Amino acid sequence: MDANAAESSRLRGKGRPRTSETAIPSLIEILNLIRTERASTRQELEREAELGRAVVADRLQLLSDLNLVDESELGHATGGRAPRLVKFSARRGLILLATLDQMSIGVGVSDLSGNLLTQHHEAANLTAPVAQLADRLTSLFNWCLERQVTPTAPWGISLSVPGTVPSGRDDAFMTTTPPVLPAWEDFPLVETLTRQFGVPVWIRSSVETMAMGELHVGAGHGLRSMLFVKVGRRIGAGIVCDGQLYRGAQGAAGLIGALPVVSDGVAGTLDVMAGSNMIEREGRAAAESGRSPVLADLLRRGTEITSIEVSQAAQIGDTAASAILSKSGHLIGQVVATLTNALNPEIIVLSGTLVQTNDNLLAGIRETVYGASHPLVTRDLRIICSQMGSSAGLVGAARVASEALFSPSFLKDWILHGKPNMHPGFVAFHGLADKAEPPPPNHLPPSDPRRIEP
Amino acid sequence: MAIVLHTLDGDWTKQQISGMLGIFGDCGVVVTEVIDCGFSVNRQVSELDRLIVAAPDAIVALPVANEQVAAAFRRVSESGIRLILLENVPTGLLPGKHYTSLVSSDNFGLGKMAAAGLAPHLVEGAAVGVLGFAADFFATNEREIAFANWLQANRPDVRSHVRRFGAMDEAAELALQMIADHPDISAFFVVWDTPANAVATRLQSAGYTPAMATVDLGEDVAIALAAGRQFVSVAAQLPFQQGVAAARTTILALLDRTVPAWIAIPGMSVAQSNVADSFQIIWRKPAPARRCACLALRPDGKSRTVRSVSIG
Repeated sequence: MDANAAESSRLRGKGRPRTSETAIPSLIEILNLIRTERASTRQELEREAELGRAVVADRLQLLSDLNLVDESELGHATGGRAPRLVKFSARRGLILLATLDQMSIGVGVSDLSGNLLTQHHEAANLTAPVAQLADRLTSLFNWCLERQVTPTAPWGISLSVPGTVPSGRDDAFMTTTPPVLPAWEDFPLVETLTRQFGVPVWIRSSVETMAMGELHVGAGHGLRSMLFVKVGRRIGAGIVCDGQLYRGAQGAAGLIGALPVVSDGVAGTLDVMAGSNMIEREGRAAAESGRSPVLADLLRRGTEITSIEVSQAAQIGDTAASAILSKSGHLIGQVVATLTNALNPEIIVLSGTLVQTNDNLLAGIRETVYGASHPLVTRDLRIICSQMGSSAGLVGAARVASEALFSPSFLKDWILHGKPNMHPGFVAFHGLADKAEPPPPNHLPPSDPRRIEP
Repeated sequence: MAIVLHTLDGDWTKQQISGMLGIFGDCGVVVTEVIDCGFSVNRQVSELDRLIVAAPDAIVALPVANEQVAAAFRRVSESGIRLILLENVPTGLLPGKHYTSLVSSDNFGLGKMAAAGLAPHLVEGAAVGVLGFAADFFATNEREIAFANWLQANRPDVRSHVRRFGAMDEAAELALQMIADHPDISAFFVVWDTPANAVATRLQSAGYTPAMATVDLGEDVAIALAAGRQFVSVAAQLPFQQGVAAARTTILALLDRTVPAWIAIPGMSVAQSNVADSFQIIWRKPAPARRCACLALRPDGKSRTVRSVSIG
């Protein structure tokens, strides 16, 4: 606890130690009610937390001393004196965010409530050595911190990665680097970022972070159940039940791309039979055989046929390209229909460049899901395309960190210190990361962020 | 529909408007207002609030600030008006939720282009002065990040010294100070052309002629580039094409078609060899007469004489 908080505790505690263990649960409850905007006045806090006026006043004073809440604003008067608004000090710290996928990296900064303040995206090659990636991330994070108008310290780092992140022993914060990609096995990315920035790191799969983004600020905002489906080379689902993202026992929930499907007598996994690799392959064949005049013309002019070209050709009415995307849509629809019957979501949000560049895939999925589901399940079901694009991953990553920072089990051990990097478990891990041998020099690319001044 | 811009002064804005109005006219979309915010946050906020009452189908707007105008832009989208942003997204606004699309220059590409153009003029182990903009402005931030990124990836031998100016008239003095602090600086990158030209002029009068790279082919920089005075690489935006793209995006959005959340218009790399052609493409008018008269160049880099130049 810092000096001010201790002083306040002495002055207002009237002989009773306010920061005893018994105060922490109510302190956490009050902070989270304010943070999630379920209560914004003392009266609302008393009602929501079912705590007495003196206890609420006492905890608010302590939270104010810790600079976690702010009571300087007045609300609207409803007859008597205007109530003082209690607001979470979301700008007390920053969360550094990054989304990594096969072709690009995005970085961003959010406040502690997960509101995105800045974002930046650039092309990147994820098959490049992971040390280079770590170096680039560090440079961009330093850049983001440097450009803050009011210098503010980071409180956490949240990464979105293109692969499953096992859950289990790293629940509070990451202490090991998950082997998301083969090259990550021998590079301590989490430890390196912890050492560089001195804050806890969280990592989730891109499907999970995008689903979180969609749930909190996108099409799923305010809903309790949602199915999020990302279509790319691989096809994955994010499952939201009772307003929470379901991760499963191993953090592997939603790997629907591994499910077997059959098309034209050929069996294979959904990834292989309906993913963008299939669309690209079939599109190239349609171009070479001349079945698709639009794609054949592109090929003649030397354009490489990728799934995006097929998608665009379908959008302007090319029959062969439309058929390829419809086939993919129907196959994805079969699997999504099964999930829809099992989960009964309020909304299905489809994401990925392929979905967002043409209507055929969406139409194929809709047709199959509506046709293959129980009428009760589809009565009010909406199936839409995500509008958030690449921002969804960053927004979702911010929410992952924000929820982890303020989850009662983590918060209870740092709240009295005022900052999460004072959490005893994190202090111990940071010490270990500091002492660990840095990655060998051949891992370090020629660029070093310290070369750039100031 | 309405167009709300930071300023109506300058060729960049005029070309943007020209690009937009042509397409809107072709498609039968009536532009009811073109608003000049005079770089004022208060003015932009009050104009947006006034437009919410007027309720056009769509607004194309260039935000003059980040956080200070965010609430006003949110009110626009909440009122159901389609919002197409130019260049910059106010803090916290999200595609699909608060705005339809952002149409901007590929500022990251421009930064890389400037670095790639400057690199051949840098000797092994050279030092480069980078003059960024101190305000937290997305476009200049992107250019600066990209410039550093390209050098890190392609010329790891080059060292960068970065300073940022708050006002344009500070840039030249800051450059002199940088040379005093780091006498090995042999080249400069300045994030846009007006301060870059001021830097070049001031340094030249102090006896320094470093190789210069910048973004945007303003008239002064075009003349200097053509004459081979200091400027060696300019990454130019294409404002007319950006206006066309913004108008097309707006029309598609009004037709309820899906549009990308972010549309980036690639820039054009300009060197001494293609300055005359590039000037015409960028500004939709002939290159300035006095520059053409002194030196006009073919795409292969060899000089040629311009027989008749009467406009410019």
